[in-house]
Amino acid sequence: MFKNYLKIAWRNLWKNKGYSTINIGGLALGMAVTLIIGLWIQDELAHNDNFKNKDTLAQVYQSQTFNGRTGTSPAIPLPLEPALKDKFKDNFKHLMMSSWNSTTYIKYGEVNLSRPGNYMQPNAPELLGLDILKGEKDGLEEINVIMLSQSTATAFFGKEDPIGKVVRISNQHDMMVTAVYADMPYNSSFRDLDFIMPWKHYVNTNEWISNSLDNWGNNSFQLFAQISDNTTMEGVTNAIIDIKKDANEETAEFNPRIFLLPMKDWHLRNNFEDGKQSDGRIKYVWLFGIIGGFVLLLACINFMNLSTARSEKRAKEVGIRKSIGSQKGQLIYQFLSESFLVVLFAYVIAIGIVLLSLNGFNELSRKEIAFPWNSGVFWGISLLFVLFTALLAGSYPALYLSSFRPVDVLKGTFKAGRYAGLPRKILVVLQFTVSVAFIIGTVIVMQQINHAKNRPIGYDREGLIQIPTFSQDFNGKTDVVREQFLKSGAVVEMATSSSPTTQIWSNRSGFDWEGKPEGFQEDLAWTEVSAEYGKTIGLRIVEGRDFSREFASDSLAVLINETAKKYMGLENPIGQIIKDSDDEDPAPPMKIIGVVADMIAQSPYEPVKQGMYVYDRFDNFSYYNLRLNPNQSASQNIAVIERVFKENFPAIPFEYDFVDQEYAEKFASEQRIGTLSGIFTALAILISCLGLFGLTSFVAEQRTKEIGVRKVLGATVFNVWNMLSKDFLKLVVISCFIAVPIAYYVMNGWLQEYPYRVILKWWIFALAMLGAMGVTVLTVSFQAIRAAKQNPIRSLRTE
Amino acid sequence: MITIKDLKKSFRTEEVETLALNGVNLHVEEGEFVAIMGPSGCGKSTLLNIVGMLDNPTEGGYNFAGNEVAGLKESQRTQLRKGNLGFVFQSFNLIDELTVYENVELPLIYLKMGKSERKQKVMEVLERMKIAHREKHFPQQLSGGQQQRVAISRAVVTNPKLILADEPTGNLDSKNGIEVMNLLTELNQEGTTIVMVTHSDRDSHYAHRVINLFDGQIVTESKNREIGAMV
Repeated sequence: MFKNYLKIAWRNLWKNKGYSTINIGGLALGMAVTLIIGLWIQDELAHNDNFKNKDTLAQVYQSQTFNGRTGTSPAIPLPLEPALKDKFKDNFKHLMMSSWNSTTYIKYGEVNLSRPGNYMQPNAPELLGLDILKGEKDGLEEINVIMLSQSTATAFFGKEDPIGKVVRISNQHDMMVTAVYADMPYNSSFRDLDFIMPWKHYVNTNEWISNSLDNWGNNSFQLFAQISDNTTMEGVTNAIIDIKKDANEETAEFNPRIFLLPMKDWHLRNNFEDGKQSDGRIKYVWLFGIIGGFVLLLACINFMNLSTARSEKRAKEVGIRKSIGSQKGQLIYQFLSESFLVVLFAYVIAIGIVLLSLNGFNELSRKEIAFPWNSGVFWGISLLFVLFTALLAGSYPALYLSSFRPVDVLKGTFKAGRYAGLPRKILVVLQFTVSVAFIIGTVIVMQQINHAKNRPIGYDREGLIQIPTFSQDFNGKTDVVREQFLKSGAVVEMATSSSPTTQIWSNRSGFDWEGKPEGFQEDLAWTEVSAEYGKTIGLRIVEGRDFSREFASDSLAVLINETAKKYMGLENPIGQIIKDSDDEDPAPPMKIIGVVADMIAQSPYEPVKQGMYVYDRFDNFSYYNLRLNPNQSASQNIAVIERVFKENFPAIPFEYDFVDQEYAEKFASEQRIGTLSGIFTALAILISCLGLFGLTSFVAEQRTKEIGVRKVLGATVFNVWNMLSKDFLKLVVISCFIAVPIAYYVMNGWLQEYPYRVILKWWIFALAMLGAMGVTVLTVSFQAIRAAKQNPIRSLRTE
Repeated sequence: MITIKDLKKSFRTEEVETLALNGVNLHVEEGEFVAIMGPSGCGKSTLLNIVGMLDNPTEGGYNFAGNEVAGLKESQRTQLRKGNLGFVFQSFNLIDELTVYENVELPLIYLKMGKSERKQKVMEVLERMKIAHREKHFPQQLSGGQQQRVAISRAVVTNPKLILADEPTGNLDSKNGIEVMNLLTELNQEGTTIVMVTHSDRDSHYAHRVINLFDGQIVTESKNREIGAMV
């Protein structure tokens, strides 16, 4: 019986090739989109799945409140770790201090590379469950040792045995390789852990760290934890939440709360609003999940509509089958197996589409998703997916077709009732509602990105490069190197800074100035720069003057930005003194010599943070900033700069970034979302139009006789086209009026997340509506004009 | 075999109610060949549909081979129809997507008959109807007469007790028409009961008995001279 069904289904598909192409093609596209989104979601959810201890791992977080605003971050002070060990030993299996992941120069023989990695306490391999390939698991016990990831070890040693070899770090310290561990997978929070060096080494070689061992106010470190077997994350958090407040009076006024963020939340739920966990990337997982579901629905609607539209053709078969003994249930089963066949077919094509587009998708979404050929779970879910889609697409046609009365259809008097087309119309409206809403959403996302991109950023990022200077080799050489760069002709100006222009690395408090309100808890961005910083990056001076080498006193001068002027309540800031509020060992007071324009160093969607630029007296810089010679090509300039750099720092690898590219990274996430949703929207519209195209051809066919009669009576091609198009256009107009308020509501909500946002204008909506209608007219017209142009004699003879 | 008592059937549309059958009484013996005649719209086909259990009467009783049919649900009617009844239509009503063989095989599939047995039966009947050489053809590749022979093959393949024919020669030329009528007569002579709706006087002469319907009522009944009278 089943064979008989499949046979007739196959012959039906073959006979109506155009219809089958639309149906299967549309479904395949829809399923491919859903499949790709499914793989993407699976990849997001599988983040950190590689860690053996993932259920008991956590990072220690801290919330603090300044001037009524609560901020939350994983930055914690050094004394926290011994305090936790002292008081809550039983709650933890491991506590592990770590530095931030940062790039370090590693040299072995002639190989000189910069690699990202961390300084960690000796229990790191145990806590992270590292897969040690060579050497010892306890390889971090000594001070001058290093553990390398497999790919890093290969980069340095090739086929040689790395264990026992000595590498040079930042051209300063010699470290012996004690272990090699397997690379972290790319979708892991520690993917950039190319090396691990001992925490003790980090503390011993940095005075500012060894000075902070008792300092509860210096939140510059990370702490990871593995909880004990008999505890829960909530339980431990409840126990430790007030540990800092209880331990340290000075910082208690900021109401510090210490808590654990479980590893499963690191990637998708690491956003905090006012001290409470809000969302994070999980919202994109939802967003794409919803898009995938809708695109699949659109494709299923095509199937439903085309199947039921063709009902009159299948009606006779239903009648015959019923008259010779088929039960209604058997017919439902027949039509469902037919839809199963179509869906299965579409699924095979969908897999083909996915395979073809996976590389491009990976590039767009910055993923390394591989097609899960060997995953039993994947194929199991695929089968369920096919069954579900077959049921979703096929159940309505199956119920509809199997309900025909044989008496009606066999006598040839069968005509679909007056309302038979209504569900079809509703489905078309649903399709176009989704499509129009997608169009509006995509346009608004693109607009918001452009809006932020066009925001004045306060400096000139074109032709500006930055070179990291993470080694003591650079100390004391700045002026000499600057001279050489300027002389080389490749650089018109150079300055140093303690953080890159596109970021803020340090925030400070503990200042006093005249007129500071009582109890004001200031928080200011802190960047140390050399004299020509403003000139190099093109920072505009609004009041007062820039740093100058002419004035020796400028080594204790400071520039503030416009926001800081307002924030600090300074009406005439020039000449004001900013003092250190520490009474015991105060830093020397600084004089404000100028106010600079606000420059965007953080999110382009947020207001610029209040900040100060301080003259760098102690070589605290981390970057060279170089303004390239605009009269030469960038590549020419870079070649010259590299030569000068290597002459001065032969032991340091030459690396640089274009600041405009770094700045563009700030939009990468939104840009990706925008591009992907743009592609999905285009596909959604394509699928909807495919359906409409099929539907029009059926309506045109159905009304062949009517069209013939009308033409004989004098109707023009335009009249007929108008008659056929109007019906569909009406549906699309209805869709628009449903889609616009929904899209407005959703997108307005999305925009609220961005303090710096585009204003929604009515013409976006009008344009989306016009676009949808235009596409509809185009789609419908092809069939309508074809039907209208037919010789009426031919169409009348078909009766 | 068929006993119909005071049968009424009305159709209701939004505006009007039409009485298609108005108190029909009819008895058909097993092995009979009955022709139903009458002008268009007199209720012939409605009566045939009810006899064929494709439709339910509005009022009255219908007993088929000892089973009361009036008021049965569709699934029950389907059950009773299966294997007992064969249909032959004016427009053949073959499934275009199935071959000759597959069309004839279909009722046997619904009877859940095994494959080899099906094959044997189908080939038997196709040969008998002299259409076996076309078994792999699709309906559109056949002439009208051939299509009707396939339709008859399909109607008789289950050895039904009753064949219902709705103007079986209506779409055929006279040569093919006569051939079809001869086939039906042959089947009747082998014991199959036949009820046939027709417009054609010539066809009605093949029947034992002719019933004339007018406005939903039987107006006359006449017996033909002998069973299987040839024209």
